[in-house]
Amino acid sequence: MAMTATEKQRYARHLSLAEIGAAGQSRLKNSKVVVIGAGGLGSPSALYLAAAGVGKLALVDYDVVDLSNLQRQVLFTNADVAQSKVAAAAKRLAALNPDIEVVAHDLQLTADNILDTLREYDVVIDGTDRVSTRYLINDACVILGKPLVSAAIHRFEGQALTYLPERGPCYRCLFPNAKDGQVPNCADAGVLGVLPGVMGSIQATEAIKLILGIGELLTGRLLTYDALTTRFDEFTVARRTDCAVCGEHPTILTPQDAVPKSKTTAAQRALISHSTPRQLQLRLGSAAESTTPILLVDVREPHEFERGHLAGCVNVPIGELAARMDELVASLSGSSRGRSSRPDVVFVCRSGGRSLQACEMAVGARLTAVPINLDGGLLAWARDVDPEFVVAPV
Amino acid sequence: MACTVRVASPLRSYTAGAASVDAVGHDIAAVLADLDTNYRGIRFRMIDEHDRIRPHIRLYVNHDAVTSLQQAVHPGDTLHLICALSGG
Ligand SMILES: [Zn+2]
Repeated sequence: MAMTATEKQRYARHLSLAEIGAAGQSRLKNSKVVVIGAGGLGSPSALYLAAAGVGKLALVDYDVVDLSNLQRQVLFTNADVAQSKVAAAAKRLAALNPDIEVVAHDLQLTADNILDTLREYDVVIDGTDRVSTRYLINDACVILGKPLVSAAIHRFEGQALTYLPERGPCYRCLFPNAKDGQVPNCADAGVLGVLPGVMGSIQATEAIKLILGIGELLTGRLLTYDALTTRFDEFTVARRTDCAVCGEHPTILTPQDAVPKSKTTAAQRALISHSTPRQLQLRLGSAAESTTPILLVDVREPHEFERGHLAGCVNVPIGELAARMDELVASLSGSSRGRSSRPDVVFVCRSGGRSLQACEMAVGARLTAVPINLDGGLLAWARDVDPEFVVAPV
Repeated sequence: MACTVRVASPLRSYTAGAASVDAVGHDIAAVLADLDTNYRGIRFRMIDEHDRIRPHIRLYVNHDAVTSLQQAVHPGDTLHLICALSGG
């Protein structure tokens, strides 16, 4: 297909590269790429893929733009806050390059819809922020035989790996298994805003090389980037013959939704108590007289904890809770010494989400005391009880 | 003589934020034991009750993947602790 005069002008710097030229640009135009997660990684990768002239570019997300996204999600502007991410992103990408087709999939990927959603695309880019979704996407790509460019970030560190069907290891070969609770995400731990800019740009580069069939890909090589020390490193990753999805005897033959992280049942979840900030304030005020001692566990990251926490709180970040449950049991028996009953354990975090996850883990780990969630978290505490209380940003 | 341990971002809460620390030991098991005496609890985040590397963790000596805790470590080597990340 002949290029229009405006296309020739738009892609002039590609056309003068011998590795791309008119033939390569036409391959880009005929390619279809899907970016999953319109977040920190998805923003730069989608922008560069649109700019590069990928003919059909799809975005998958189900979230809305939050003001706290704008520190790194460069697809969006202030005016997009509270708007659908994929709708705002589609508008932005179409404005950047009106010659391409942009598709917005406003949905949450599940085992039921993932194969149909990904089927028509040539390359899949994973920029999601949950480890369970990463496995869902990886398994779907292996099953469909689609190349997958993965990247992930945490605080100042990034990782990237490209999966090529039949030619290299998949994400499960790299990390056979991980649970959401073991692997903290950006909302929990914070992230340097420019870090996903680097890693998402690497993902776009991989996708473009893959489409063009040039260069060497991150196949069988895990790339790591430490922004704090400005260090790139790479580690070879071999295909595992016992991989559950791409190995010789796969046990995952269709995509599967993640089992709940702590395998808590509805009956177990019913064991979790809930407390409003005012109820907790009253409970703490009467702690001295109460026969039931109270243990406060703050499951935020240390840097959040340092900025301000409730008196007497212990800090066990959510990502460490599973591994430190024994320690918690030990401190429980310590704090109940001399009292007649077992302590109540109250989990707190910034907004009540991580602490609820902690309550579920406590139930799953059979921590005998009934876990109590501070509903609304410390933000609610600052709003309803102590306006002076400083709640650190994540 | 010590080897250098490069610490994955999610494990730096144990090392007071340090990206790189020193440890001694003739093999991986010894290095991890030494690491754990200085940064209590860090080993259990990587190695389970059956002395297996957890499935969301990878260890490399220099650039060789560690498959056994008996793998030798030499002075001046770098042990990389790599942890699955989920942020996007
Ligand atoms: Zn695999």
